[in-house]
Amino acid sequence: LGVTKIVEIPVVTAEIPVGPQHPALHEPLLLKVYAEGEEVVKVEVNTGYNHRGIEKLCERNTFYRDIFVVGRVCGICNAVHANCYVRALEQLLDLHPNKRAQYLRVLAMELERVHSHMLINAVMAEIVGFETLFMQIMLDRERVMKAKEILTGSRVLADYMMVGGVRRDIDEEKRQRIRELLLKLKPRVEYYRRVFEEDETIVKRLVGVGRISYGEATSHSLVGPTARGSGVKIDSRVSDKYDAYGEIPFNLVTRSEGDSWARMMVRWDEALESIEMSIYILEHLPSDGNPVPDEKRLPRRFPPGEAYTRVEAQRGELTYYLMSDGKGQNPYRVKIRTPSFNNIINSAFMYIGYSLADVPVMLTSLDPCISCMERATVIDLEKNTRYRLDLKQLAGGKL
Amino acid sequence: VKRPRLLGLVLKNLVSKPATIQYPRVKTPVEPDFRGVQYADLGKCTGCSLCAIECPADAIKMTPIPPEYEVPKTNPRRIYPLINYGKCVFCYRCVKVCPTNAYIATNKYDIAGVSRLTSEVFSLTTLRRVGS
Repeated sequence: LGVTKIVEIPVVTAEIPVGPQHPALHEPLLLKVYAEGEEVVKVEVNTGYNHRGIEKLCERNTFYRDIFVVGRVCGICNAVHANCYVRALEQLLDLHPNKRAQYLRVLAMELERVHSHMLINAVMAEIVGFETLFMQIMLDRERVMKAKEILTGSRVLADYMMVGGVRRDIDEEKRQRIRELLLKLKPRVEYYRRVFEEDETIVKRLVGVGRISYGEATSHSLVGPTARGSGVKIDSRVSDKYDAYGEIPFNLVTRSEGDSWARMMVRWDEALESIEMSIYILEHLPSDGNPVPDEKRLPRRFPPGEAYTRVEAQRGELTYYLMSDGKGQNPYRVKIRTPSFNNIINSAFMYIGYSLADVPVMLTSLDPCISCMERATVIDLEKNTRYRLDLKQLAGGKL
Repeated sequence: VKRPRLLGLVLKNLVSKPATIQYPRVKTPVEPDFRGVQYADLGKCTGCSLCAIECPADAIKMTPIPPEYEVPKTNPRRIYPLINYGKCVFCYRCVKVCPTNAYIATNKYDIAGVSRLTSEVFSLTTLRRVGS
């Protein structure tokens, strides 16, 4: 082949929309990627495709109905959402559940952490093109789902938390069955961890991709496994010791590498820690009374006041702000701040300098949960501008 | 970098049965206390409407009992909770708040079908027809 003419293509910056509907993304999020050739030079994160008005819905429902509304903010982390909200209600009422209820709450949340971390690792395997591993992890994830079904009565939506305790107790037979399922699951998780450590495909796609330094993770206020993958020791379970976390032994997992691979390895190590914690809970379950409160006799009136609670959700620190005016049966305000909100919106700096093909991998390594994070934005369609309003104006309806 | 030994897994999967459950032909195994379809036992229901007030999904509507049924004297308004299972989120708040424990909880989960399913078919079977 004799080359007769060489055409030089000038390098221009191309704007490539990744999402909101994209085969490589599992979540409705728009990443506007500006690329020079294959190299990413700028990323704009655009959200707002999954806003459902949950906070407003909470204001229009009673305190007790909201326990089930906040459980539907996100399917994967419904027990932690409900736990955070219920603990805010308990703060208002000055109620303290007994030890057994606290242990059972932690058990439900840790089972949820195991299946959430397995899910995102399976999704990561699919994104890097290792679909067999995706199928294998999802098959073993069914064991945790079964354990959760035995404990709470449903595979995904637990609806397990109630003011003053939990909604169902476990007996000796259920305890043994959950324990057996977890003991069978543990070697499988260890095996998958080894696959992520040793497999060539995964190591080549993940190691060194999307590096976040310790300083960047703290200055951009990243939370959860994303920050822990960069060596930041941040975990509400350790710092707050809410529910029974003060009595159950567990290690805070951190890694120093700061790349996508480190974040996934933090998740595997945490899943193993959670399995250990769950087995510890099942073996040391205290029996200091009935953990199930009678839902007919719970207080109907809530005193005026504010409550602010946080939990360590699977993706990081999740906070609830609850305000009661003491007049009606509805909360005056429920403010939810989810970990994905920090992790996704503040991490646009991470993509710069990497190849276009690495963008889905880096996004997946953050464990995005868009349905969790979508809150309100004000957009004027006529003038085609967007602006912020302070809360008073928004509540009064005046512009 | 060493490869994990997949050969054992491959051989095991060759002889083991598929993990997929052929759903409509084979039923998915669920726990006996799985949160499935729930309905009111009208022999115990007093028509107090507390479940309809507390339902987070607004799936329960208090409906008059048809005149051909014998209704116990504890239900003077002759109404019963009609649950629309299409709206229901199966949180079992109604089961837990019922003051007379009238709700019957089952683990039935296969409620998808061509017609809209409500608790009418289940609840009315708990009452006797007039004259029977």
